[in-house]
Amino acid sequence: MMRLNLVLLLAVLASAMYLVSVQYDSRRLFTELDKARTEAHRIELENERLQVEKRAQTTPARIERLAREKLMMRQAKPGITTYVTYSEPVSVADPVHAAKTLSAGSGAVQ
Amino acid sequence: MSRGIQYTSSPLLASRTPVWRSKLVVGAIALAFCGLAARAAYIQVVANDFFQHQGEVRFARTLDLPANRGRILDRNGLILASSVPSPSIWAIPEDVEIDKVKLQKLAKLLEMPVAELSKKLEDEDKTFVWIKRQVDESVAKQITALNIKGLYQRKEYKRQYPEGESAVHVVGFTNVEDKGQEGVELTFNKELAGRNGSRRVIKDRLGQVVEDVGNQIPPVDGKDLQLSIDSKVQFFAYQRLREAVLEHKAKAGSVVVLDTTTGEVLALVNYPSYNPDKRRNLSGEQLRNRALTDTFEPGSVMKPFTIGLGLETGRITPQTIIDTTPGRITITGSTISDSHPNGVLTVEGVIQKSSNVGTTKIAMQMQPHEMWDLFTQAGFGQKPQISFPGAVSGRLRPYKTWRPIEQATMSYGYGLSASLFQMARSYTVFSHDGQIIPVTLTKNTEPAVGVQVFSARTAGQVRKMLQMAAGPGGTGQKAQTIGYSVGGKSGTAYKMIGKGYGTDKNHKYRGWFVGMAPIDNPRIVVAVMIDEPSNGKYFGGDVAAPVFSETVQQTLRILGIQPDLAVRPQIVAQAAEESF
Repeated sequence: MMRLNLVLLLAVLASAMYLVSVQYDSRRLFTELDKARTEAHRIELENERLQVEKRAQTTPARIERLAREKLMMRQAKPGITTYVTYSEPVSVADPVHAAKTLSAGSGAVQ
Repeated sequence: MSRGIQYTSSPLLASRTPVWRSKLVVGAIALAFCGLAARAAYIQVVANDFFQHQGEVRFARTLDLPANRGRILDRNGLILASSVPSPSIWAIPEDVEIDKVKLQKLAKLLEMPVAELSKKLEDEDKTFVWIKRQVDESVAKQITALNIKGLYQRKEYKRQYPEGESAVHVVGFTNVEDKGQEGVELTFNKELAGRNGSRRVIKDRLGQVVEDVGNQIPPVDGKDLQLSIDSKVQFFAYQRLREAVLEHKAKAGSVVVLDTTTGEVLALVNYPSYNPDKRRNLSGEQLRNRALTDTFEPGSVMKPFTIGLGLETGRITPQTIIDTTPGRITITGSTISDSHPNGVLTVEGVIQKSSNVGTTKIAMQMQPHEMWDLFTQAGFGQKPQISFPGAVSGRLRPYKTWRPIEQATMSYGYGLSASLFQMARSYTVFSHDGQIIPVTLTKNTEPAVGVQVFSARTAGQVRKMLQMAAGPGGTGQKAQTIGYSVGGKSGTAYKMIGKGYGTDKNHKYRGWFVGMAPIDNPRIVVAVMIDEPSNGKYFGGDVAAPVFSETVQQTLRILGIQPDLAVRPQIVAQAAEESF
């Protein structure tokens, strides 16, 4: 009887120690998880901030200014635009029809 | 053995210990145990709640989980407004310890005069002082690096508006508490705001979270809002409008661009505008969304409706001859006149030359209630069904109170008032085959279903007249644009000064143009208004039509619509007599 009690006492003690260690581990891991979550949130916000910044750098106002001043570009007007329309594939056997389709396709250019 | 305990054999100590002493010790220890048991019972049973609470106060914390305010996007998903973290700096003046060098560094970082900063820090009566709200995150980091005692940071969000002043009248802005104050930010505040959450946690000695306790309320982020605005169209319209307002030394101006298939507002701009990031010294002039809040007499823009009604009821055909000589007509003692005598015109010519007399002659064949019904159906005197603060209804009096002269003036747009936005929408009657369509500020790709006002045939006939009005010999020739056929009506009006229209010397004008393109199968309606042009030119056909022309061209190009006209290098405009 005495021996059994002793064994049980030891078992209880061991289990108690194990519980303490598990509790400690769980708290440590939870802290790490929480830190990771906070970091993730921070990165998300940073991402949002950078996106807004990127957008601010690509506003039409800025692009137009840069295109005009740095790249010496000018505005696209229909007069200098070629409009490409889809037409049926041209068969080589019918040169007359082919010529017609081609001229129709380039009609917008002058 | 005798009674008693013998501890030692030393004769000196051989005296017997009295039994009561050991009993006393046993008794005292027993009593102490009883005391402990009672205390334990008290703590764990009787006053359990109190101690539990005291414990929690020391290690449990409630953390706020802030919800992100939703973003506002344009039709292509580009950001028009978004919240970014922007810490606010505050201090407990009593606790602040700062030396001169650090003070100067801090002042430089915050872009504040040193005197102002030290004044804030010296106010020892207060226990809380905002030093500066919503600074940039990079600045906040440098401030943290200075390591000043008594200076703290609070996490806050700031709204960023990348498009700035061109879109601000639509988007609006939020206040420092992230609540919508104007524009879409105000209208959709509830949807954008989201709901904050919270969680209860246990923190350890180092302030690290070690456990969640109790229920966690997750934050609900605000919904993103996608508008119908195209930021490119919006920007180009704003740019052209600003140029026109400056060129004509005008007071203000507005442009509205509608997609007539879906009823979406592609652009809604006003000048003067303001930068949403710098809102000090804002005046109502800048703040107002004129296109929606300012009403004026629509003038000649109304003529196509009167003519349309005549066509619809079969009273006239496009070729019916109307004699407008001698350019004047008298109705119950009042005289209506054209700015130039036009002689004998067809109905098409009446629109093309914008003849008041011709329109009046057609209108006098109609019943007042017919005209009232038409105007009401076209949205005049009705508040536009658009989710935007401050939209006005304009004025259209009930037909029973109309006198004949009023019926006549209303036929060409005087005696009633409307906002530019209402006018733009009313023209969807002509562009959408006789239907007036509902308009929306949020993205909508479905074709709009409208209310039939005219038959498709009438709408087509009026479109042809509008094209003539913008063509050779018309009043709106400058509305023509390279590559695309356009049609529209210009308008010019004396502004009301007090109760009248001013005297000959101090007339103030307003010029506008409402039209559509491409004319055979319209895709957009564009309305342009220039307020008080005062640099010589003031006719709508001169000041507003060029803005219309450029806006149409850019918009159709951005929408990827192929030109329907053979491209000529330049527009040939013949001299035509301008008209009101």
